[in-house]
Amino acid sequence: MTISPYAKPFLTLYYREIQRFLKVVVQTILAPIVSSSLYLLIFGVSLGDKITLSDGTSYLAFLIPGLVMMSVLNNAYQNSSSSIISGKFGGDLEDWRIVPLSAKGILWALSLGGLTRGLIVGAITLAVGEIFFYIVQGQVMLPAHPGLLLLFLIIGGLSFSMFGISIAFWAKTFDHASGVGSFVIVPLIYLGGVFFSLEGLHPFWQGISKVNPLLYFINGVRYATLGTSDVSPASAFIVSMFSMVIFYFVALRVLKKAQYTRW
Amino acid sequence: MELKSTTPLKISSLVKKYGSFTAVNNVDFEMKPGEVFGLLGPNGAGKTSIISCIVTLQEPTQGQCQIFGYDPQKEPLNSKMLTGYVPQEIINHGYFSVEEILIFHSGYFRVWYNKERIHYLLHRLGLFEHRHKKVKALSGGMKRRLLIAKALVHDPKLLLLDEPTAGVDIELRASLWDFVRELQKDGMSVLLTTHYLEEAEELCQRVGVINAGKLLKVGPTRELIETMTKRKVILKFKGECNPQLNSEFLLHKNENEAHFLIPQELGIGELLLSIACDISRLMDIRITEGSLEEAFVRILDNSRKEASL
Repeated sequence: MTISPYAKPFLTLYYREIQRFLKVVVQTILAPIVSSSLYLLIFGVSLGDKITLSDGTSYLAFLIPGLVMMSVLNNAYQNSSSSIISGKFGGDLEDWRIVPLSAKGILWALSLGGLTRGLIVGAITLAVGEIFFYIVQGQVMLPAHPGLLLLFLIIGGLSFSMFGISIAFWAKTFDHASGVGSFVIVPLIYLGGVFFSLEGLHPFWQGISKVNPLLYFINGVRYATLGTSDVSPASAFIVSMFSMVIFYFVALRVLKKAQYTRW
Repeated sequence: MELKSTTPLKISSLVKKYGSFTAVNNVDFEMKPGEVFGLLGPNGAGKTSIISCIVTLQEPTQGQCQIFGYDPQKEPLNSKMLTGYVPQEIINHGYFSVEEILIFHSGYFRVWYNKERIHYLLHRLGLFEHRHKKVKALSGGMKRRLLIAKALVHDPKLLLLDEPTAGVDIELRASLWDFVRELQKDGMSVLLTTHYLEEAEELCQRVGVINAGKLLKVGPTRELIETMTKRKVILKFKGECNPQLNSEFLLHKNENEAHFLIPQELGIGELLLSIACDISRLMDIRITEGSLEEAFVRILDNSRKEASL
């Protein structure tokens, strides 16, 4: 197969991004798996026995898809944003500007890099979840719609990689970038229905939750895994896709207008 | 890649402002194919701002740059393929080894499987035995050589060197000069900014002097030295100097020596005639040509005087 010379810079940056997170595999892959395993053990196994959902789904089964999506979103965001922030410190970012890489090339390479890391951590989280599920239920949980599951994970991973790119370029200090992580992303993920179902909330809070786009990302994955969710799969798909398109155009504009000079 | 023009670099009416501060003020110059061109100026003169506009790290406020006819703002992918850039500041690349960095950099320039060129550069720049080290483990001089290797992985036609020998020891500096001459012999055009005027005098066929964003002079290095400096002539006499000896060019005299500062156009014979020198008593004549440093200082002084008028 012949690769177009124009694709080579983009593919090189994508390869570099993968190599970058593999160089610090303990921090980028293993650490998130430990935290996901603890969530599964404490909430899914230990407390899960005391929680019953109205449709009869076990709490552990309810929790697994949410945790998988949470892993994908977190890791995709962290990968692209940390790559840019460390590039601002070290000066690597200047390299991307002076070489024949287009803004779209940088955007897709970083987004796919973040998605790759997100999918690896998400897949391992799912595997760990399956082990817990097998121990507790004595059977394996097969996704109801595997293709749809992959689609929602890809949309979520790409969206959050693109969000990470925008935030990292906007950030003037480490505090800015970590502040968005702590005060925006973590609350949105936690309030997006990873750990609870909308049906248990007061109608007022249900209304508030429905404004959170992450509810749709997470419930898309939950529907694809369990066959049921708090929002319809169509609305989950439309909101997720719409969010991804917004994230894409914002990140592209940021990349075209951004300063690539170091801090 | 097809070139639109044979002119390696053309800067036309370039203006770069940062807020209300004008870093580059209406600069025009162009390079000739295969020459080493020196851009000289004190700190903050605007040299790096010009280079930043050329490599698209900054957007010009007005004016245009062209690399072999390609405008970096309008056709960046083409202009970047033709350019190698050595920045002033060290890049750290925390995660990767020297060789990995060069492999990635080759890929950015659409060259995969570039081992031969990479190993040639590593050998030529004395980095081969350090190729598996991470950048943080390299000395300052090695980091600077890595920047040069990165700029050359794709064999560019125009090399931009922004203070390449800052903080580099004398031996390494001399070897880098040799390397620049070698690159020039191979047909590469080089734009060099430097604080070391001796370096510019040694390497550059033409220089431009810039101060406070304005290009004050551009010309062949030799010609600039000749027009902007004077020659120092020392006449040594047998026995005492003639106490009557006088000239508008006389700097000072001592027991048996007379020191003169003469314009380039004045011949030694004319000087000797003008002082009615008794040649039979003349033991020795020593002539020291002006340096680029003197020319540089004179150009800056003249511009300051003009500005204060």
